[in-house]
Amino acid sequence: MGIKKIAKKDIGNLLHQWGKDYTILVPSTEGDTALTVHGSRFTVHGLWDGSDVNLDWHRNTVKPPKSNFLPPMEEMFRFQKGKEGHSIELPQEERRQLIFGIRPCDARSLRLLDMIFTDVYQDPYYLPKRNSAVLVGLVCLRPYDSCFCTSLGISPGGSDDVDLLLTDIGDEFLIEEISDKGKRLMELTAGLEDATEDDITKASEAKEKAYGKVTRKIDTQHLKDKLLSSFEDETYWEKVAAKCIGCGICTFLCPTCYCFDITDEKVKKQGARFRCWDSCAFSLYTKMPMENPREEKWQRVRQKVCHKFEFYPMSFDVIACTGCGRCIRLCPVNWDICQTLEGIRDRGGDHQ
Amino acid sequence: MTASDISDKHRFLAQGNVYLPHIMIIEKIIEETPGVKTFHFNFKDEQIRDEFTFESGQFGEYSVFGVGEAPFCISSSPTRGDHLEFTLQRVGKVTNALHRLGVGAEIGFRGPYGNSFPIDLLQGKNLIFVGGGIGLAPLRSLIWNVLDNRDKYGDVQIIYGARSPADLCFRYDLDAWGDDKTVDVITTVDRQESRVQSPVSRVEAGNSRLQSQESRVGAGDSRLQTADSRLLREGFVPQVLEQVAPSAENAMAIVCGPPIMIRFTFPVLGKLGFTPEQMITTLEKRMKCGIGKCGRCNIGDIYVCRDGPVFTYAQIKRFISSEH
Amino acid sequence: MNSDGRMQQRLRHEAGALLEQDKVDRIIGFEPGSLKFTTTPLITKIKDDLDRLVINPFIVNNLAVFLPGLKGRIAIVSKGCDSRSIVSLIQDNKVSRDDLVIIGIPCPGMIDLRKVEKLTGKDRDEMDDIIREGDKVVIREGIRDEGYGITPDPYPLTLEVSDVLFDNCLACEFPTPQDYDILLGEPVASRQSAAGESVESQESRVESRGEGDSRAKRLQSEASSERSVSGLQTINYRLLTRQQRWGFWRKEFRRCIRCYACRNICPSCFCKRCFVEESEPQWLMPVPRWQENLMFQVIRNIHLAGRCTDCGECERSCPMNIPLRSLTMEMYNLVGELFNFKAGMDKDAPPLMTHYEQEEAEDLIR
Repeated sequence: MGIKKIAKKDIGNLLHQWGKDYTILVPSTEGDTALTVHGSRFTVHGLWDGSDVNLDWHRNTVKPPKSNFLPPMEEMFRFQKGKEGHSIELPQEERRQLIFGIRPCDARSLRLLDMIFTDVYQDPYYLPKRNSAVLVGLVCLRPYDSCFCTSLGISPGGSDDVDLLLTDIGDEFLIEEISDKGKRLMELTAGLEDATEDDITKASEAKEKAYGKVTRKIDTQHLKDKLLSSFEDETYWEKVAAKCIGCGICTFLCPTCYCFDITDEKVKKQGARFRCWDSCAFSLYTKMPMENPREEKWQRVRQKVCHKFEFYPMSFDVIACTGCGRCIRLCPVNWDICQTLEGIRDRGGDHQ
Repeated sequence: MTASDISDKHRFLAQGNVYLPHIMIIEKIIEETPGVKTFHFNFKDEQIRDEFTFESGQFGEYSVFGVGEAPFCISSSPTRGDHLEFTLQRVGKVTNALHRLGVGAEIGFRGPYGNSFPIDLLQGKNLIFVGGGIGLAPLRSLIWNVLDNRDKYGDVQIIYGARSPADLCFRYDLDAWGDDKTVDVITTVDRQESRVQSPVSRVEAGNSRLQSQESRVGAGDSRLQTADSRLLREGFVPQVLEQVAPSAENAMAIVCGPPIMIRFTFPVLGKLGFTPEQMITTLEKRMKCGIGKCGRCNIGDIYVCRDGPVFTYAQIKRFISSEH
Repeated sequence: MNSDGRMQQRLRHEAGALLEQDKVDRIIGFEPGSLKFTTTPLITKIKDDLDRLVINPFIVNNLAVFLPGLKGRIAIVSKGCDSRSIVSLIQDNKVSRDDLVIIGIPCPGMIDLRKVEKLTGKDRDEMDDIIREGDKVVIREGIRDEGYGITPDPYPLTLEVSDVLFDNCLACEFPTPQDYDILLGEPVASRQSAAGESVESQESRVESRGEGDSRAKRLQSEASSERSVSGLQTINYRLLTRQQRWGFWRKEFRRCIRCYACRNICPSCFCKRCFVEESEPQWLMPVPRWQENLMFQVIRNIHLAGRCTDCGECERSCPMNIPLRSLTMEMYNLVGELFNFKAGMDKDAPPLMTHYEQEEAEDLIR
């Protein structure tokens, strides 16, 4: 495994090289609200405009990278009604993406999403984007106080789910090749220096220190079973849900939430079918004309929690949470999933 | 479930883009009740028409281009006909748009999705079909399937109910099953008198008989006759089921209807000695994608569209008490 | 003990008495949040929970939003703007005044963490303490991050309170609740009269105990180069051309993800089913396209005419930092200009848009 480094000032050159083969997506402000957005200067991984990418003070993006694979809205196909009836046209395949500066937790979230999008049926919109993408990770040296990735087996310096991993070592980034895909990309990349022993030591120290900065913890042991036994505890869930306002922030901005809606639009004889983000937090989400199985807010809050910590583990043997903390720090009323899970643990045996 | 578990019935659509609908042509429309229609439809592409297979209990996503998609079961039986059927009540945006369509119109169809009634498990057993309202649609697919392989099954009993005589769907089937001496059909309504606006002819009070109804059949259909040999009972389906009291021995009960009916039917079956494994139902959720991705039909670790819609009561008992 | 502390002590006492004497079934207030400098709504029937009630410069939520969803008699903690929302809900028959005990807080304004972050260059979770002392806000020692090109700043840092309050607090006309049963402190005057001062005070905006600190100076010049130090721009429509406005909102609403936090956090958005969720007819596509996003906000604003109390919650809750208050303010001012009406001032007055008076300018239905 080759370990290289690159001066921060040369990142632009690097991205130019990669830009020949990939659409380069960097932490971006999406327009020019260049001010902090809930602690982050960056709203999303957006199109690189060719200028300097300064990641010195980079904290994680507001929108998770699922936006690049399962966009908030996506055209599935166009249709047209002609003399011979309806015809359908698929959108053009997009250029492969290179996500630059993705956090280890967010890279893991994509692996979690892969499970649902390959389950039984291959999703023809998510997977081509996902399979062709390169993830250039960035060690997370400044986790938020809302982060708890280490409780979910993720490390701020983790390399499990990226193709290349960058570590900030001062004026330079250390670059580690992680996957075959990353290796191939590196082979085609000019202008990199070999890292010295000293650089490597610096990086591993930084990673270790970053790990210690994640101080928020959750206890996931037996959580699935505890949730299972809490399912009918309406009193508990009502208490937990009381202050939730039922908006879509925690689900839309969750890197592992994937629910979507399918909707049509037509003008005269032609139109398109779209899919767009949807949320189990919305009261009409499960509404059918004659009934709504999740009429009550507490049922919807329960669904959100159980889906991540009980149902996903039942289906795929893994918790659908990366501890990125977005749902906590972006919640307008500070509804805190960790407290809810803690409450589940403390609910006690008398309910069971 | 993994990709390797894709059975043949899934494979038909596992190739290519699973979200792309096939263009279908509506061939015939039957007005079952004032708000319910059955559409006979077929693939526009004749090659697909020949390749397509499905099983009783499976569903599809039907769309009116520009309006949207909605899931309905395939209400015809794989054992009959050179076309497919689906039946729907006019209740929302997509169903309203479908109801406005005429013969010859094009719709989108994706499917078949979901599991199906466990034929292997049902064979050799006495079958009790318990249906309510439009819930007869999925049962009807299975009933015809069973009757077309009559020797493979034991006794067949059908208990079907609707709100009023005007709300009874599939009268032509009820007639045909009633004519079949190997089938016991019991029809019931919540109340005998029809709704004021209902054009249905009056049913005689008391020991009344289901009389010949006026036709609500789409263009060109033969008139439906309801044979007068069967009693039309009065009472809710679960009550009638309790009175009829079918034996649980070597039996399977297949229940389909509005949630409230299902909720009251299971306890009655339990009282009659049916175990949760002997009770089968189909769940209705707002299945948007149909293929276990969009998240809408998730209850517990189940995706109704992926793992269902057919379940034994044992499988869903824990969740439906609180979410159905 | 500062004034917040005194009010907090009294609040716990009063709330406890209300539950104990069975005057209410529930208390709605604030408790400390799980993150630094945050609070979270406390909705409880349990007396022991009341020890967690807090009053501090971060009790930002407008708790009136919870009222329509709750049954029974409720005691609710209420700042000036919140009380107007409550009155507005009473006007719309969403709650009954008889079921409420309003515990009023004369509100000196809430601290906008984004402004503090902007002025200090530190993120919320990297500050140790933010203390309000009269007209000053003192930021205590932040974490000094080692060796990533950032020079540690001298702390503590003292800021003018007027530089770190939310814009809507700076513009607040009625900081003392309009209607209350218990008032926890002395009424406070509107800040509006002192509005002139905050503009001229830009030079002295950042005080630092460190000497010759270039960072503080830089911050100072950055701050003075903008109309507002908050993360958001308040748009003065009257200064923009039509095209400029269109361009501005296109850019802003491209970010909108249609999470509906702005709607759900808003006490005035009490509809059980929002127009945006209607499918027959479908007024708006559910896809988050900027045109649709903007239309949603515009229509929502029209529905809020005469109801919005400028509590600022829509803008505060927006995860994408869309300057929604620029829109709501426009409507708020328009309602004032056209109808000489301010929302939530008189519980016995009919809702603005449900009645018509002879002298109104519009003669369409006269």
